[in-house]
Amino acid sequence: MKSIVFTASAAVLALGIAALSLVGTARAAHIRVDLDVPEQAAIGQPMELQAHFHSESEAAIADMEVTFHEQVTFGGVTSDLELGRAVTDEDGFAALTYEPRTAGTHDIHVRYTYADGEEEDAAASLTVPATGQQLYRSTAGVKIPGLNVWLLMALVATVWAILLSVAFRVIAIAHADASPPMGRAGSIGSK
Amino acid sequence: MEEVATVGTTSWRERLEQAALAPVTKTSRAYYVWVAFLLIVIGWGVYAYSRQLQDGLVVTGMRDRISWGLYITTFVFFIGISHAGTLISAILRVSQARWRTPITRMAEFITLVSLICGALFVIIDLGRPDRLLNVIRYGRWQSPIIWDVLAITTYITASTAYLFLPMIPDLALFRDKLAGRVSGWRMWLYNVLSVRWQGTHSQWRSMGAAITTAMILIIPIAVSVHTVVSWIFAMTLREPWNSTIFGAFFVAGAIFSGVAMLIIVMAILRKVYHLEEYITEKHFVYLGYLLATFSLIMVYGNVSEYLTTGYKMSEGTEFHFRQLFLGEFAGFYWFYLLGGLVLPGLLILLPWTRNIWGVVAASVLVVVAMWVERYFIVVSGFRVPLMPYEPSTYAPTWVELSVMAAGFALFALLITLFVKIFPIIAVWEVAEDDPTTEPEPAVRLVPHGTAPEPAGGAGR
Repeated sequence: MKSIVFTASAAVLALGIAALSLVGTARAAHIRVDLDVPEQAAIGQPMELQAHFHSESEAAIADMEVTFHEQVTFGGVTSDLELGRAVTDEDGFAALTYEPRTAGTHDIHVRYTYADGEEEDAAASLTVPATGQQLYRSTAGVKIPGLNVWLLMALVATVWAILLSVAFRVIAIAHADASPPMGRAGSIGSK
Repeated sequence: MEEVATVGTTSWRERLEQAALAPVTKTSRAYYVWVAFLLIVIGWGVYAYSRQLQDGLVVTGMRDRISWGLYITTFVFFIGISHAGTLISAILRVSQARWRTPITRMAEFITLVSLICGALFVIIDLGRPDRLLNVIRYGRWQSPIIWDVLAITTYITASTAYLFLPMIPDLALFRDKLAGRVSGWRMWLYNVLSVRWQGTHSQWRSMGAAITTAMILIIPIAVSVHTVVSWIFAMTLREPWNSTIFGAFFVAGAIFSGVAMLIIVMAILRKVYHLEEYITEKHFVYLGYLLATFSLIMVYGNVSEYLTTGYKMSEGTEFHFRQLFLGEFAGFYWFYLLGGLVLPGLLILLPWTRNIWGVVAASVLVVVAMWVERYFIVVSGFRVPLMPYEPSTYAPTWVELSVMAAGFALFALLITLFVKIFPIIAVWEVAEDDPTTEPEPAVRLVPHGTAPEPAGGAGR
């Protein structure tokens, strides 16, 4: 199992120290998060995402609501897709069942808000190998013998052959023998 | 007595020939003004289209969620109009309706011209016309788009043949009668297109067989064209287009709008070229009856369509009904239903409006309403959200409006030019209905007294 240890944001810490030096109050926002994602993953196979929250002194952080997200890109727009929510147990563990739907690298995030009110997150990458397997199998369509593209082509070819026969008739008109006309040429009305 | 009859016949035929020749030989100042006006509108449309080519489809009101607008609406509308020729010429020829003869040529003109204009709007909608080649390079037989391309190209070819074949004797008439009276290129055109027609027995026989083949073939082709156009919608996963009757509904609507457009063109040409002797109130009333019949069919189609989908009332249907009957498209829909289906039917069925003006007024309403119907079918279909997002909106820009106006101007211009070059009336067919001669058996194709036997199979 791959583990990535996340240390709460250095920027937040720096801001906290700065605030402490200015106002003289202390804030304990420093917690550690271990976000674990499985090393073996497959499209359509459920797996468990697990995050362990504990303090610097290894004390478990219980009853904290966390959300799991995935960074997704669709139509050229990248955004967060919320996968689900969980609450840490007495040992500081929060877990979520997840089913990857596409191959490739998935950026999984877990977000939480601790005592200082600032939202923080931890991230891990999940790699799903491409196997050629499709998550969704289309069952639409009924195969009827003979009903295929060749039937369409035969139909179109027949229509155009008939049109060609009309063209041959026009050629026949142009090459008709010089038998006596049935009426004045064109006027057809020399009654 | 026989001498008198002969004189009377000659006079009638001469008047008929003069009526056919008049648009070619006489040009009024109003004609030039009209053509200039149409060219200006087309020119403005070309400028607007050049902006679209330069900047892309972003100059239109179409976006990712509503990606079809005025262009596809007008494409469907023109393809619908093209059914005028098929119905009036082919179906009435098959059914041996003799009253059709003075108006068949106009109907066939409308068919070809509207197909040309309709096909142009598909290319315009592409944004980049060079992408048209992708249909050939990457097209898939399983796609309704490919079926549409096949059906429309076949229909254009068949319509051209069906327009040309019965025109051959009349082109020969022009060739003989206009020698020395028109410009050289026109004489060359008449010489080529009349395919050395001399009116011999074998020529009549060949033409009769060709017309019979073409008229039988063109009816299923025409039906297939608008059916396939409807399938482009019905085979797309959009809630308002989930309909099994779309094919029949579109074909009925196409004939409906085609007849209406024919009546309007007929009324204009009758007035401009003084064809009152040949195109009478009878023709308007008979076509009006067809119009009224199809208005009832369209009302039935609406009831059948909306009642069945409304009874099940899925979430998307509920949204669609709300926008169609009460919301953004309510004005369009109720105008279409009341102004385009009910009112025209009443105008024709009520005896005191069953005249030329009543039928023409009904036709104008139908043509406008059928364009509106195509608009709300296209746009409202896209507006129903596929996911939980806010429904999008669509408003055509000046570019789209200009290009659409140019399309209609092109339609009018092509009709105007066709009339100026080709016989407006099927002289030889009308001549068979010469009122000054004895009635002949209905099966005769060739003119009275000119053929030892019927040429065979020309469908009369």
